Amino acid sequence: MFRKAVLFRWLSLIMIASMLLAACQAGAGGEKKVLTLIWTQEFDSLNPLYTNMWFSYVTHQVFLSWAWEFDQQNNAFPKMVTEIPSTENGGISEDGMTITMHLREDMKWSDGTPLTADDFVFTAEMAVNSANSVASTYPYDNIASITAPDPYTVVINFIDPFAPWLATLWHGVIPAHILRPVFEAEGTIDGAEWNLAPTVGFGPYVLDTWESGSFARFVRNENWWGEEPNIDEIFFRFVPDDASQVNALKAGDGDVGTFIAFSDVPTLQESGLSIVTEPSGYNEGLFFVINEEFGHPALLDVRVRQAIAMGIDRQSMTEDLLLGLTQVPASFWDSLPFYNNPPIENYPYDPAAAAALLDEAGWVDSNGDGVRDKDGVEFELTYGTTIREIRQNAQAVIQQQLAEIGIAVEILSYDADIFFSSYGDGPAASGEVDIMEWSDGPIFPDADVYYWLCSEIPSDDYPDGSNWFFLCDQELNDLIELQSTQVNSADRQQSISQINQIFHERVYWLGLWQDPDVWAVASRVQNAQFSGVTPLYNIVEWDLSE
Amino acid sequence: MLRFIFKRVLQAVPLLFIISVILFFLMMNMGDPIAAMAGRNITRSSDRQRLTRQLGLDKPIVVQYIFWLIGNDWTTVDQDGDGIGDTNGTRHGIIRGDFGTSLVNRGRPVTEVIAQRLPNTLILMVASEIVIIVGALAIGVYSALRQYSIVDNVITTISFVGYSMPIFFIALLSMYIFGVLFKRWGLPYLPTVGMFDPEIGKTLGQVLTHMILPVFSISLISFAAYSRYIRSTMLEVLSQDYIRTAKAKGLPKREIVFIHALKNASLPIVTVVGLDLPLLLGGAVVTERIFAWPGMGRLFLDHVSRADTPVVMGILMLIAVAVVTFQIITDIVYAWLDPRIRYE
Repeated sequence: MFRKAVLFRWLSLIMIASMLLAACQAGAGGEKKVLTLIWTQEFDSLNPLYTNMWFSYVTHQVFLSWAWEFDQQNNAFPKMVTEIPSTENGGISEDGMTITMHLREDMKWSDGTPLTADDFVFTAEMAVNSANSVASTYPYDNIASITAPDPYTVVINFIDPFAPWLATLWHGVIPAHILRPVFEAEGTIDGAEWNLAPTVGFGPYVLDTWESGSFARFVRNENWWGEEPNIDEIFFRFVPDDASQVNALKAGDGDVGTFIAFSDVPTLQESGLSIVTEPSGYNEGLFFVINEEFGHPALLDVRVRQAIAMGIDRQSMTEDLLLGLTQVPASFWDSLPFYNNPPIENYPYDPAAAAALLDEAGWVDSNGDGVRDKDGVEFELTYGTTIREIRQNAQAVIQQQLAEIGIAVEILSYDADIFFSSYGDGPAASGEVDIMEWSDGPIFPDADVYYWLCSEIPSDDYPDGSNWFFLCDQELNDLIELQSTQVNSADRQQSISQINQIFHERVYWLGLWQDPDVWAVASRVQNAQFSGVTPLYNIVEWDLSE
Repeated sequence: MLRFIFKRVLQAVPLLFIISVILFFLMMNMGDPIAAMAGRNITRSSDRQRLTRQLGLDKPIVVQYIFWLIGNDWTTVDQDGDGIGDTNGTRHGIIRGDFGTSLVNRGRPVTEVIAQRLPNTLILMVASEIVIIVGALAIGVYSALRQYSIVDNVITTISFVGYSMPIFFIALLSMYIFGVLFKRWGLPYLPTVGMFDPEIGKTLGQVLTHMILPVFSISLISFAAYSRYIRSTMLEVLSQDYIRTAKAKGLPKREIVFIHALKNASLPIVTVVGLDLPLLLGGAVVTERIFAWPGMGRLFLDHVSRADTPVVMGILMLIAVAVVTFQIITDIVYAWLDPRIRYE
């Protein structure tokens, strides 16, 4: 009995001591204003040319800047340029082939070196140099030549008129004075130390430490050329598990979290956190394989696709699965009202009308097995997506609802890197599933799309094609090609509207729910606003209350 | 003994080669690194073509394995995409100590990626293993000495409850209770995630407090297996004739248990521990993920999900080498524990 008492006493002492230790440590923070953001994925690279990762490029507003950034309404405002180029101010030539940018003259890198047009030219050159394995050469591969007539002017000549320039150009600039010597010495900047430790930047903050798997710490940039930030230090803390992120936010171990699951919103709100949703151009949707060789033959008939649209109760799905916190998108351009004009109206949930359309198309249950058929072919679809929980829930609901109108659905789930693998390896790119689901959108806030180009259909000769729907609609193809060269916004709006109408009428894509960025913000964080393009655009205005 | 060790090391070479072949071919079919680089959109076709070539993923798997093994500095690579090799390769291969560079953190050597995480994993896993072994020894010996007593039954029940619970449940539950609820109730609370509070820094106190919940979670599920094993081996040894003889000789109970019984019961335990120790290098995948501990388990998970073959192969080969090494060490410890064993 005595031994047990001693053991219990020791255990109690250890537990209390460890918690007191934790309490003492927690109080040792000092007077600095320190903001902690929780990132569920760690950066792959901090060099803007070497990443497509959302969690990386979102940090650019902290330690780099974009030439122009986007506010809460996703409107562009000049950041590194004196004004955004336009035909009115002479920044864009009449033929849309040339853009002239005038840079601010007060910009400096954090080491005091002036930031000039040479950095822009160097960035574009490095993006397309075949020695560098950058994440994407786009959009710089559309540039025919780029020159710097003076230190604060950049002239870009495009191969063809390039409409999506505003949304795609100059997502960060790299320091020529640091990386050019590396390139000259090694013939590539792939292994440059700056890519993973950019301790020289030109944002309001500059990288101090990036501890792999743990955190990245940014401190004030003493040579910052803009408005003075209120917060002293910013931490990005890498917490890969969603449930852990929620617990950490509730416990105050983080001030801001992102990619919050809709199911976690109520519990975070109960804990005093604010939830901010910001449209980012993404919509969860169904993509149909429409091809005589690939995909189910029933999907070739537009009436069948319309029946599927009316056979799924998407409104109830958003209310039940997503707690009514988002909406059903009617258009691929749902979050771009300028282009979704006139606004598309959603197909209603009407299983009776859906059944009638299927009957009209000749798909009837002739053998009484509960599944429609035609010419001896059963209406059995395969429906694939990634293993994300909400998608699997949606699959189950859709499977049940389509069964009610006589369509059998086999649901398939894959790891994301397998699902999105290339032609021959991945089920999506290889036309192995009839319906695919993922979240996608135009090159937000631009309206450009390219997946549906006929030339992008993958094949043995062209395995890298991105038209995984194997659909070649010549009218759609011509409009997509046309809009990408229209620098006149009124002309382009008209083209996109026509594309939008075709998408809707021919049901090439069916939106399930809008997929905005969902942020959770602690009550002590003040003035935080988010953009769907450059989320941390007003980070200098953020503050922390006592 | 030296001859034995030398022989075992020589035997390990073909074994490691076979392991590397199997792992590499399995890994190459695990996913598409280019797809994983795309971010939220599908990789552009032009970028896919270019990256596949630049990262050497367009080569047949056998060629990729050879490059990984012996390097490609003896041949040329096609840098500009014209189909003709124009630049000398720069890789030396693992037999010359070059594990390659990460595809995810482009340009960063695999050895550097692993070296950053290995100490963190060792801190967590060694602490957990010590807690597990010490705790399981105490519980196992106690249960064996008081077989079928109330305490033995209670310990057995608790062990199996712990063993039956998935670690993610224990981890999240303990995080919620000691991190979230304790704070809400105004009690001293434990940190939920990370290895230390970035605002304070990597102090000993910080690391210790951040270790408590992960170590607790790992230990709770492992106590059961170890303690039951120790209990059963102790029971077997305690029923041996020499223990009866020792008792008949009037030796003190403490001496019988710890000198005669436990040392002999340790032989099979050493085997289990010896096999477990190298796996510590791999970290605790689930625990590290939930508690955001920057260790090897999380590194493995992060990079396997992005099909980063060089890093994943580096981790797997490190574990394979460790397993082989610890098996040799286990054999040597056998000889120390049991003088009847001779490796001649």
